[in-house]
Amino acid sequence: MNFRTARQTSTSQTSTRPASTPHRSAGRRAALRYTGLGTAAVLALALSACSAEDGSAGADSDAVSGDITLLTPIYEGAAGQRLLEDELLPQFYEQYPDVTVTVDYTNFARLNEKLTTGVVSGLVPDVMMMGVGWVEAFADKGVLANLSESGISVADLEKSTTPEIVQAGVWEGDVYGVPIMLDARFGVARMDLLREAGYDAPPSTWAELVEMAEALTVRSENGALERAGFDVLSLDARQMYETMLFSSGGSLFNDDNTAPAFNSAEGVEALESVVDLIHTSKVEDTGYSSTKETVNPLINGRAAMGIAHNNLWTQTLEAAPELLPELEPFLIPGDAPGMFVGGTLATMSKGSEHPAAAQALLEFLASPGPALAANEQRGNIPALTELLDSEYAQGNRLVQFSMENLDVAKREGGPSEWLGLRGEIAPAIESALLAQKTPKQALDDLADVFAGKMGG
Amino acid sequence: MSTTRMHPATPGTPPTATPKPRTKRRRPWKGRLLLNVILSLGAFTMVIPFLWMIATSLKSPAELAQFPPTLLPQVWQWSNYSEALQAAPFHLYFRNSFLISAGHTIITLVLGSMAGYALARIPFRGREWVFMGFVAMLMIPTYTKIVPQFLLVKFMPLFGGNDIFGQGGTGWLNTWWALIIPGGLSATAIFLFRQFYLSLPRELEEAARLDGLNEFRIYAQIYTPLIKPALATVALLTFQESWNNFLWPLLVTTRDDLRVIQVGLAVFQQLDSTSWHYLMAGTTLATVPMVVLFLFCQKYFIQGFTHAGIK
Amino acid sequence: MVTPAVAHIGLWTALPVLATFALSLTDYNIFDAPRWIGIDNYIQIWNDPTFRLATWNTVVYTFWTVPVSMAIAMVIAVALNQNLWLRTWYRTAFFLPQVTATVAIAMVWLWIYNPQQGLLNAALSVIGIPGQAWLADPDWSLWAVILVGAWQGIGIKMLIYIAALQNVDNSLYEAASVDGASVVRKFFAITLPMLKPATFFVLVISIIGAFQVFDQIYVLTDGGPANATTMMTYEVYRSAFQNFQMGLASAQSVCLFAFLLVMTLISRRATRGDDE
Repeated sequence: MNFRTARQTSTSQTSTRPASTPHRSAGRRAALRYTGLGTAAVLALALSACSAEDGSAGADSDAVSGDITLLTPIYEGAAGQRLLEDELLPQFYEQYPDVTVTVDYTNFARLNEKLTTGVVSGLVPDVMMMGVGWVEAFADKGVLANLSESGISVADLEKSTTPEIVQAGVWEGDVYGVPIMLDARFGVARMDLLREAGYDAPPSTWAELVEMAEALTVRSENGALERAGFDVLSLDARQMYETMLFSSGGSLFNDDNTAPAFNSAEGVEALESVVDLIHTSKVEDTGYSSTKETVNPLINGRAAMGIAHNNLWTQTLEAAPELLPELEPFLIPGDAPGMFVGGTLATMSKGSEHPAAAQALLEFLASPGPALAANEQRGNIPALTELLDSEYAQGNRLVQFSMENLDVAKREGGPSEWLGLRGEIAPAIESALLAQKTPKQALDDLADVFAGKMGG
Repeated sequence: MSTTRMHPATPGTPPTATPKPRTKRRRPWKGRLLLNVILSLGAFTMVIPFLWMIATSLKSPAELAQFPPTLLPQVWQWSNYSEALQAAPFHLYFRNSFLISAGHTIITLVLGSMAGYALARIPFRGREWVFMGFVAMLMIPTYTKIVPQFLLVKFMPLFGGNDIFGQGGTGWLNTWWALIIPGGLSATAIFLFRQFYLSLPRELEEAARLDGLNEFRIYAQIYTPLIKPALATVALLTFQESWNNFLWPLLVTTRDDLRVIQVGLAVFQQLDSTSWHYLMAGTTLATVPMVVLFLFCQKYFIQGFTHAGIK
Repeated sequence: MVTPAVAHIGLWTALPVLATFALSLTDYNIFDAPRWIGIDNYIQIWNDPTFRLATWNTVVYTFWTVPVSMAIAMVIAVALNQNLWLRTWYRTAFFLPQVTATVAIAMVWLWIYNPQQGLLNAALSVIGIPGQAWLADPDWSLWAVILVGAWQGIGIKMLIYIAALQNVDNSLYEAASVDGASVVRKFFAITLPMLKPATFFVLVISIIGAFQVFDQIYVLTDGGPANATTMMTYEVYRSAFQNFQMGLASAQSVCLFAFLLVMTLISRRATRGDDE
């Protein structure tokens, strides 16, 4: 009972709710009102008017009709379904009464299987939600429609969205996907634990981070780790490494995405830093945490600092709302400030029989009102810069922090082979963390694998 | 347990024996106690993960975050169950899963037992090849077969707007056909049936033939009633496998009203976070029907081979 | 009578299997039409250290899960075929791991193996054995996966043995008892031979199942740490649905097929006799 009251209180304070609570429409509806759905509808209309002026597929509003399908790993569960089908789509139908949308829900884990069977059988959904890194392959192979040809230019998108994020949907200079929601990885400190140890701010240099992490590490008499000073194991090894890589000024690939670049001096140093944390500073032991942990160690005090996902906020809101004020985000201090972002983009099938309707839906879902609602449902980061001012972003410290720092964010992907490459990264990073290989060796070997696959 | 019956000597079985009078041997009580203790410990070990699953399904997220973890819930959150059920249209998913599983089970029992019988008891040319062919079909992993299977469903002629060459429409996609027919029969069931029919004595068949029964009646009236344990086993395993199937129903449907229970449970496992308490509550609920089915099938595992007399 | 089954399996399984064989000789990335490349995929597999490791892991996994759980399952089945008090509940308990979707129940094992909070380390500490980071330590992770596989596999094997035991003629035991045979002797002289057809089935199906282990890996380790627990089917999955290399995935499947075919033929030889 106690817990429930607490959660309700914090809900009313922040006007947001945990992504996984099944009943939340009331809170969210309130938030929708704040941003004003009118804006959304007007914007969607304006965008499609734009495309009409360009004289391409869209033509006039009368032509926007047909039965279209939407494949989506977001809006899942009863709550997501209610949001999409009871609130968002009715607004869409008001604008486009002649369009019918069939929604095919899946999850990210099985998105590839759905897309594969769709592509192989020629039944590609009209509108598809994809992750960052997917667009390259599907655009390259001619599955996705070139949205720049129907009026969505890179320059237009950059007016409302950070350029690096826009690039996630761009292939060979043209737009193939429009970002809707983002997720970021950055440093988070538990300020209550830091203050106990005499620190009043998160670290601002790597040396400081190491020193603080060592001081914050707690071990029992027999050496068993009780609190990690800096947790790097709760994230997928690939994403953790990429966060470090981007913070050290390194990149995954060279400028034209033709060769791996992560085994540069910066990349090796990034991995060495992590390996040293574990094997030299001993601020965490391999196996202490994992992506499969029931709860992030920052929440139950088993870590004082760490690299975390922005959904740490929603998790904390559910499990220990009193700790929310103590979660302090910070950019991992390295040679260059950096942050890792992933995200979800709306794309359109090249073979769509109703391109105008499909594009209208895509633009509607990416417009401020619906995009905000979708982000709020999952506790993620809106891609549209203007939504930083929304009640939701202002009430979620980690989302707010991420949005404020999107200009230094970097994303995965780049080459069209990315989907086939990314699975190779985690084993290589793990081999370095386990001290099976030196960081340099692990990254050089990985670069060889990448070069082989990208050459062919 | 056993009553006497006519026992035809089968080649390969140890020579026996005229029926003996009922001699029920009792183990010494110490042996029985020891056996029970060992079995209890073993059974307890087997169910530990389930006990933990149930305990977790009753904890609040706050309690799940506690360190060290609690063994039993401090506050029993029964509301997790009702909330989990609200997270997706589970009543619909339960019904769909049930229909699909029942469909698979019926097809498997009928076609599988017929095939198993034929492979075990009807000599025909190439029988060995057909049998090995069936077994070989099991040796290619699902993930490789699934795309061709999907294509077969999509290009099914004359369905879903397809013409006779399978072009133009969506075939069986988004239909019950796709959910029930392709997975309706597995070579495993045929194999299992064959082995059970093999273990039955040949004399029954000879006697039946003398009585002028045709092949189908020998199968249906003589042999199949004798392998009720096998029927129960196959039914149980088929039902359970369909019940737990996730990927195929997800791929061949796009409509929510054709989705199944495992798809519903996947809602609790999102890319970067899992709602453990709901997931475990949902999984517990999904397991209950299977346990009930198992208990129901139990009665077919206790009858001895006692009524085999065909006289 | 075998015709309907042949038709069904022929269409829904044999065709996809044939397609697999055909695709294994092509380069097929799902976007472009398959392109004939002869045995290039097989050459690539031969030179792929990860697939070699996956094959070895699969063999180790099979070696430890199949015979061990078969023996345990048979003993349990024989024990539970007696008229024991609580028999139904024992049987249910042993079968329970089989009925729950692997994906869900494997998540519970994540907790059991958790180095700090897990039940296993807690239990070991009671008897003074230091805990391990079971899934994160490459020396232990494969064993952790094997234990889950064995745990889950016992149920189905036990069930089949129990079903098979119903067909064993009780008068055989009675005759043996009159002749003064011991429990152990009866087991080897009567039970074991009578269970031969069932054993052949359980052996073949278990080997096939073990060689295609996927769900445990998918949930518990993702093949890690550093590929220490990757398996053949997991590599097939990665090739097909992460890398979109259907041709390569098909060739990997054919390799898996070849392994299984050889092992099935060996099993058939080994359990021949009462089978026919």
